[in-house]
Amino acid sequence: MRVLQAPQFPFSVTRIGVTMQRTTHRSLLLARPVLVALAAAVALTATSCAKSEDDAADGKKSTAAADAGQKVAEPKPGSKTCTIDAYGGEKIDLKDATVGFSQSEKEANPFRIAETQSIKDEAARRGVKLLTANAQSQFSKQISDVQDLLAKGADLLVIAPLNSDGWDPVLQAAAAKKVPIVTIDRKINATACKDYVSFIASDFVEQGRRAADQMIEATGGKGEVAILLGSAGNNVTTERTKGFKERVAEKAPGLKVVFEQTGDFTREKGQQVTEQLIQSKPGIKGIYAENDEMGLGAVAALKGAGKKAGDVKIVTVDGTRNAVQGVVDGWISGVIESNPRFGPLAFQTLDDFTQGKEVAQDIIIQDGAYDDGNAEQDLGKAY
Amino acid sequence: MAEAALKTVPLDKARALQWLQRYGVYAGVALLLVVNIVITPHFLSAENFRTQAVQVAPVIIVALGMALVIGTEGVDLSVGAVMALAASVTALYLGYGLVPALLVVALFAAGVGLANGALVALVGVQPIVATLALMVGGRGLALVLLPQLEDLRNPQLASLGSGDVLGIPYLILIAAVLALLVAFTVRRTTFGRQLLAIGDSRPAAQLAGLPVRRVLIVVYVVSALLAAVAGVLATARLQASDPTSLGNLMELSAITAVVVGGTPLTGGRVNIAGTVAGAVLIQLLTATLIKHDLPPSWTQIAQAVVIVAAVYAARGRGKR
Repeated sequence: MRVLQAPQFPFSVTRIGVTMQRTTHRSLLLARPVLVALAAAVALTATSCAKSEDDAADGKKSTAAADAGQKVAEPKPGSKTCTIDAYGGEKIDLKDATVGFSQSEKEANPFRIAETQSIKDEAARRGVKLLTANAQSQFSKQISDVQDLLAKGADLLVIAPLNSDGWDPVLQAAAAKKVPIVTIDRKINATACKDYVSFIASDFVEQGRRAADQMIEATGGKGEVAILLGSAGNNVTTERTKGFKERVAEKAPGLKVVFEQTGDFTREKGQQVTEQLIQSKPGIKGIYAENDEMGLGAVAALKGAGKKAGDVKIVTVDGTRNAVQGVVDGWISGVIESNPRFGPLAFQTLDDFTQGKEVAQDIIIQDGAYDDGNAEQDLGKAY
Repeated sequence: MAEAALKTVPLDKARALQWLQRYGVYAGVALLLVVNIVITPHFLSAENFRTQAVQVAPVIIVALGMALVIGTEGVDLSVGAVMALAASVTALYLGYGLVPALLVVALFAAGVGLANGALVALVGVQPIVATLALMVGGRGLALVLLPQLEDLRNPQLASLGSGDVLGIPYLILIAAVLALLVAFTVRRTTFGRQLLAIGDSRPAAQLAGLPVRRVLIVVYVVSALLAAVAGVLATARLQASDPTSLGNLMELSAITAVVVGGTPLTGGRVNIAGTVAGAVLIQLLTATLIKHDLPPSWTQIAQAVVIVAAVYAARGRGKR
C-alpha cells in the first residue's frame, strides 16, 4: 500500500496542495457518471434477486379486493351548498371530461396508497380519463403539478393538499379556465363555491370522540389511560386529542388521562414511549394511540414486557389492515376508521356538480369502526 | 465536591474545570440516576434498567462509529440513512434466511461507507458534504427498495431483538462487545494511532508516510457497518422494517453523544467511554422527562442545555 502511494509524496509541502487539487478535479469529473451508473446498477440488482418473506406465501394482499366506498354522514341542516351557476362555468358530461388528481405525499403509507388507488379505480369504473401527479411531500412541486395538470387539459381537479395555505397561484389559474376543484382530506384556506367547489374529509374531532367511546367501553370508564400523540403542530393530532378529551370529561369522569407523549405517528417511537410508560405507570389501563402505527408499537412494547393480550386496552385511529388484525388477535380493543377511499364520493360530487345539481360545500364522510364484534368479518374492508 | 474546592481555594479553579471536563458526563449520569431514584416511582427495578439499556443500545453502536469519524476530524451524516437501508435490505432478503440477509446488508453498508470514504479521502470532498450526499441518497435508495413498512416474522430475527443470555438482552451484549472492541482499537492498535494522527493533522500524517487514504476509507466503512448493525437491531426489536422513519435524526443523536462524551470535533482525540456515557446521559434525560409526562419540547430544550454545557467544558481544552 505504501509503495503504491509513494509517488504522491516526493513533493515539498507547498506542492502537495497543488497536486491534490488537480487530482480532485479530475476524479470529480469522472466520479459523477460512474456514481450515477453505480446507483442505477445497485437498485436494479438489489431488486432483481431479492427474496422477501412474503414471496413464497400467498403474495401481497390486494387493496382493491374489498373496496368499501365512503358514505356521507348526514348533512347538517342548513349547511351551505354550491351549484355550477353560483360557481361559474359550463355544464359538461363527466364521461367526456378529463379529471386531474394531485396527490400530496408519496404513496408510502397505507392511507395514501388506498386513497390514490380508490381515485384510479373509480375513474376506471366510470370510464373517465384521469391524469395523476404526486408531489412527494414538496409543496412547490404540488403547485407546479396542478399547473401541469391544467396545462395538459384537465377539465376538473381533485386535490389532496399538502398544506392549507399558498394556493393562490393555482386557484387563479383554475379560475381563469373555469375548472372546478374538489379538495379531499385537507382543506385549503380559500372561499368555498368561489375558489373551489367542495371539501370532502373525515371529522378528526369526531374520530377522537368515538375513540373515547371505545375506550370507555373497554375500560368500564374507570382507571388511568395514556395518549400517544401524533406529530406536534399537526391539525390531525390536535383534533383527535380534543375530541377524545372532551368525550372522556363528559361521559366518564372516572377515566383519567395521566400521560400524553408524542410518538410522531411512527411505530418505533410508539414502542419506545410505551416501554417508558409501562415502567413508570404499571397500573395503566388503556392507551389511546392517535394512529395505527403507534398503536402497533404499543402492542410490540407490551409483548416485550411480557403482558398478555387485553391486559392494557388499546384504541387506535385509521383502520389499516395490521391494526384490524390486532383487533382479531385480541391485542387492540378498537380501531376507529379514517376512510381513505375518496374516489366514489369525489366523482359523485363532480358528476352532480357538472350536471347542475346542488352539492354541499363541506362533505363529511362517515367513518367505520372495528371492534371484537366485527373485526374478523370486516378485515377485508381494512386498507 | 468540585464546587466546594472552587469556593475555598481559588487556585484550584482550573483543576476543578479540568475535572469537570473529564468526568462531567459521568457526574451527569450519576446525578440523573440519583434524582430518578428519589423522584421517579418504580425506577429502581431491573426491568427499568433493561428498558433504558435496550433503547440506548442502537444509539451507542452508531455513536461508536461516529466517534471514530470525528476522531479523524470528519463527520458522518449518513448513519441514519444507512440504518434505513439496512432495514429495507433486511426485509428484502430475509426470504433466504437471517444470515444471508445480514451478509447482503453488510455489503450495502460497506458500499455506502466506501462511497463516503472515497469521496473524502480520494476526491477530497469535505466530510460534511460527502456524507450529506449519501444521507439523502441512502434514504432514497432504502425507499426505492422498500416503499413502505413491512412486518417481519422471522423467528431468528425476533429472538435477536428480544432474546437474552442469562437475563441480559442480546442488544446490550452486542453494544458492550462493540464498545470494548472500538475502545481497544483506538487505544492499543496501530490503526487507532494512525486514525488519531490523521485527525490531529492530515498534512503531517501524510508527510510522515501514514496510509492516510486507506485509514480514512476504513474508518467510514466501519462507521457505516456499525450503523447497519444498529439498523438491523432496531428492526429486529420492532419486528418490522420501516425505512421511512427508522434512523431519522440518528446522526444528530450520535454526534450529541460523542460531543457530550468529551470528544472534540477538531479531531485527534477519541473518548469511547465518554461517548457511551454521553448516549446514556441523553437516554436518561429523555426517559426522565417522558416518565414525568413533561411536554416533548422540554426534552429538546434539556438536550440543548446539556450540549451547551458540554461544549463550554470542552472550550477550555483548546487553550491548554
